[in-house]
Order: sequence, then structure tokens, then C-alpha cells
Amino acid sequence: MRMRTRAAYGFLAPYLLIFTTFWVWPIVFSFYLSFLATRTQPWRFNPAATWGRLVIDPAFLNALKNTLVILVIQVPVMIALATVLAVLLNSQLLRARGIMRFAFFAPVVVGEAAYAAVFRLMFNADFGIINKIITGLGLPPVAWFASPTAAMALIMMAVTWRWVGYNAIIILSGLQAIPQDVYEAATLDRVSKPRQFFFITLPLLRPIILFCVVLSIIGTMQLFAEPFLITNRGGPGQATETLGLFLYRQGFTVLNFGYASAVAYTIAALAILISLANLWLGRSAK
Amino acid sequence: MAGVSLKNVVKRFGTMEVVHGASLDVEDGELIVFVGPSGCGKSTLLRMIAGLEDISGGEIAIGGMAVNDVEPADRGIAMVFQTYALYPHMTVERNLSFGLRMNGNDKADTARRVAKAAQILRIEELLDRRPRQLSGGQRQRVAIGRAIVREPQVFLFDEPLSNLDAELRVQMRVEIARLHAELGVTMIYVTHDQVEAMTLADRIVVLRAGRIEQIGKPLDLYDDPANQFVAGFVGSPKMNFMAAEVASLEDGCVTVALVNHGGARLTVPVENGFAVGDRITVGLRPEHFRRQGEGDCDLSVKVDMAEHLGSTSYIYANTASSEQLVIEREESRGEIGMERLTVSIPAAKAYLFDASGARLR
Ligand SMILES: Nc1ncnc2c1ncn2[C@@H]1O[C@H](COP(=O)(O)OP(=O)(O)OP(=O)(O)O)[C@@H](O)[C@H]1O
Ligand SMILES: [Mg+2]
Repeated sequence: MRMRTRAAYGFLAPYLLIFTTFWVWPIVFSFYLSFLATRTQPWRFNPAATWGRLVIDPAFLNALKNTLVILVIQVPVMIALATVLAVLLNSQLLRARGIMRFAFFAPVVVGEAAYAAVFRLMFNADFGIINKIITGLGLPPVAWFASPTAAMALIMMAVTWRWVGYNAIIILSGLQAIPQDVYEAATLDRVSKPRQFFFITLPLLRPIILFCVVLSIIGTMQLFAEPFLITNRGGPGQATETLGLFLYRQGFTVLNFGYASAVAYTIAALAILISLANLWLGRSAK
Repeated sequence: MAGVSLKNVVKRFGTMEVVHGASLDVEDGELIVFVGPSGCGKSTLLRMIAGLEDISGGEIAIGGMAVNDVEPADRGIAMVFQTYALYPHMTVERNLSFGLRMNGNDKADTARRVAKAAQILRIEELLDRRPRQLSGGQRQRVAIGRAIVREPQVFLFDEPLSNLDAELRVQMRVEIARLHAELGVTMIYVTHDQVEAMTLADRIVVLRAGRIEQIGKPLDLYDDPANQFVAGFVGSPKMNFMAAEVASLEDGCVTVALVNHGGARLTVPVENGFAVGDRITVGLRPEHFRRQGEGDCDLSVKVDMAEHLGSTSYIYANTASSEQLVIEREESRGEIGMERLTVSIPAAKAYLFDASGARLR
């Protein structure tokens, strides 16, 4: 090895050491763990107790189902909302655009515990403002924390509220990259504003929207804070238990590290698969 | 087919007025060029004709009909943008047909128009490509093609060639002239390149700071500029301007002293009234300098630099008080390397301008 190369690795060594210890090693080790039965001492090689259990464990399948339901409903709705929001935030007619942009971005920087507490208060079945409004409109109150369906809806609303502005800001940057004169050319071509949106804006935003979708898929696959904090550990019952929460329970409550590792690998694999499928479906027609 | 007429057109952005009452009649089938320095309001004027900017005052008529309140798409115009403004995600064919398609135009007719435009612009083999797969010149052709398929009464061009390299610019200039001859429609063309203006235009409109300085045929502007601004703007290299003072007045003539040339005297035939001592400017085009003794007033100048191009040469010269002069010579082989040169001004070719820049005749 040349002297200079050796010196370079010397300088890199502390970083590489930390990277290996806290990043590479846990990943490799948890893969190894995922083949061990860890409920009994000593840990023994027994994939049937981890990977085998995955496919038959009703609690895991329930968490998987909940996660996919949230994914399929919440992600499209949120991205659609984010796109509309981005167009509004980009509008010349909007006053105080800078403040508005910050306001919609702000939920991302609010602490999870604080926002969860506020949501719990707002959606409280007896004295929450949301039910006050609903009954004020002459509708029956909603049992947000007792009804499985309502609880799922609540989770989706909370996640959407928290991330819609973030996605809108990303999409806004894409909007601003579209040159104004393309719209002027379309105006001269007698293309109405709504059609300009569908035939010019949306196709040009496709790569960035796809990026947001993939980010959101990854986020939702790991969804943890909302069901943990808002619906009180996946309640009612296991109605809002997500994969993230299930993983947490296996790893930190039951201390079944082998099984938890298998779940973690499954979550990552699913996130990658679904994201790839999305990229493939959304690739530009050639 | 239609002419375009502007009556006292004014444009204000907020409280800032950028076009101060422009009036102009563009005849049917004419190619008219707006020239002027950056920021003089050329694009603004063009965009008002297109309907992309509101008109703050005055009236614009196309084909004899006031269009102030007419939607851009209904004005019978097509515009070619400096940045091309092609739809990036569509093929060339789609770019050309998008407008027609969106408006439910008959399919066969759309196909016919696209094919015709592609043939006129020789872009048939590019129809399946996307804009990013095209060169600048090809993009420009597509942008023009998109204008052609609309079969407009008036074409508007906003600096369409300024993003192209010099060679391509010359080539596209010829193409646009050919297009104009072929289609025979009215064209309004904006540029800040006066060579483009001179070569393309039936008539040129010279703009400065939101005002029309002069309208005329290219050579009329060149030979008979209305003021010092137009004289300096039209022609390349620029007209030389020499500071002078009125020395004496005769019947139908004025004798001036060129203050930066040791007070050399030049007598010019002019009718206007002057007073002795008035500060004025004498203008002379580079090609009008004569050889020593052949004109009416000899000047000895110091040569800073000379460009010998073979057929002509440009000599960049200086006086003691650093007044720059550009002298064009047809035959200069004998002068290569000379440090001083004596040239002569023919009085008949000299232009006089007063202190405000107005032409004195
Ligand atoms: N949207 C706008 N808001 C305010 N001022 C503007 C706007 N558009 C143009 N202006 C001003 O109007 C004046 C004329 O602008 P315009 O774009 O017509 O110039 P131009 O002659 O086309 O210049 P260039 O050769 O650089 O393209 C400039 O002073 C410009 O700053
Ligand atoms: Mg311009």
C-alpha cells in the first residue's frame, strides 16, 4: 500500500470503526439472530421458531394487515393532498407565502409525544373538540379510541397531518422547477388551467411525487409513534397494531430477539419490494 | 392574415411605467423587428400583443379588431419564446399537436398540419424524440413548428435565436426569412442584435427605455437616423461620435471645431439654427473615413489596434484626449504596423446632433 493511501485510511479509521460497530455489526448480527430461538437458554439455531413462526403467527399477520391498510389508504390520500397543498402554496394569490409554507412544514419538527397528547385530547370521545363539532352538526359522536375502524382512521389522520406539509414542500420544489413559459405556451395553445395541471404539471411532477411515495411507504412500514402514543399501544385490542409496534413488543416487551430480528428483516424487505414495485409502475413510458 | 396596430400603448408594473405610449402600425404580411438595449420594453410590448401581459393603457388591434379584452388564444397569434418553452415530457409530435388535440381539432387535420410544419422545418425525422434529445437549433425549429401548426395570423418571436451559437444563429436567421417569404404572414420579431434586425426586417422599430425612437426600413435607419441613439444603435461597428463646438455660421452651413482633435475645422451643410459656441456632436460611420486629403477635414490619430480581415480592416484609434474612433479601411495592407494615421472626414457624410441627442439637419 502506498504511503498516502495508508495515511488516508488512518484518518478514516475512527469513522470506519464506529460505522462497523454501530451500523454493519447490528445488521449482520441481527440477521444471524433471526435464525435463533431466543426464548430459551441457551439460544439455539431454530429458524422454525422465527421465520417459520412469521407465516402462521396471527398477531404478526394482524399487524401486517393493519400496516398495509394504512399504507394503501393513507399514502395515496396524503400525497394527493400534498400535491394540492403544494399548488396552493405556490400560488401567486396566496398572501404571506413564507409563513404558510413554514406552518405546513412545522408538524415535522413538533415532538411526537406533544403532538400525540394534543391529538388524544382533540379526539377524546367525551370532551374532545372533534366530537363537539360532529355532534354540533347533528351527527352521532364517534368512539375514536374504542371502535377499531375509527381508531384506524384516527391513526391515518394523525400521520397525514404530520407528514403532508413535509411532502408538500418537496413537491413545491418540483413545481418551482417547471418554467413559467411552458404554461404561457399552453395558454396560447388554448389549454385551460385545470387541463394544464393534468397534462403538464402532473406529468412533470411524476418523478418527485414518486420519490415522496417511496419515502412515505418506507415511513409507513415502520409506523410506530402514532399507534404507540395515540391509540395506546395499538388499541383497541390489537386493532391498530402495526408492524413497527409488533416488532417493538417482540423485541423489548417479550425480549424475543430472534423473532424480532426476523420481523425487522421482513419489514425492510417489504418496504424495499413495495418501493421497487412503485418505481417500476411509475417509470416513464418509453 | 392581419396587421397589428398599437395606439398609445402604456404598460405599468405597479406604479412603475415601463412602456410610455407606443404607437405603431404593422402592415399585413410585414416582418417587423423590435430592437433596443436590454430592459427597453421589447418583450413587454410583445407579450402585451400576445395577451400574456395586461395592457395598462391605449389599444392594441389585430386585423382591425381591438384585442385588449380578448383571450390570448383567441387573438390569432402564435409566439416563439426565447427559451423555446417546449413541453419537456412530450415528443416533438406531441409538442406540435398538443394545442390542437386539446381543442378537439379533427384528427386528420391535426396530422396534416403537423406533417406540413415538420416538412417546412425539416424536422420529420425528429418527431418521436423528446426535447432533451434535441440540439438547440432543433429545439428552436420545434418551437417554430408549434407556432406554425396553429396557422396564426401573426407570429411573435421573442429573441428566438439568442440561445444559439453564432453559426446556427445565421442559419436560423435565413430560415426565418425563408419562412416569412413562404407563409407570407405578419411577423413581429424581438431582438437586441441589430445585425439580426438589419438582415431580417421589412421595418425596424428602435426602442429605448419604453419609448419608440424611430420606425423605418433598415437602410433608412442606417442612412437617416432620427437621433444620436438610433445612429449609435444601428450599424456595426458603431457610428463614431466626436465632440464639437460651433465655431461659425454661414448661409446653409455651419463650421464646427472638433474639440478633441486640436480644434480641427469641419464645415457641414445644415439648415437648423445654431448659436456660436453651442456644444454638439459630430457623427461619422467607420466606413466613411477617407484617406488623407480626400475629405474635408484631416485628422491625425494614434492607432491602438488594427484588425485586418483581408477584404476590410478595422482600425481602433485614439486621440490625445482619448476619444475612441473606429475606422474601416478597404485596402490597408500598406498601413500594417503604422502607429499614426491621418484620415479625412467628408462633410457630406457627417451627422450633427445637439446636446440632447436630436439630429440637426
Ligand atoms: N413582471 C414585471 N414586474 C416588474 N417589472 C417588470 C416586469 N417585467 C418586466 N419589467 C421591467 O420592464 C422593463 C422592460 O422589460 P422587458 O422584459 O420588456 O425588456 P426587454 O427589452 O425585453 O429586455 P431584454 O432585451 O433584456 O429581454 C424592465 O425595466 C423590466 O425590469
Ligand atoms: Mg426580453
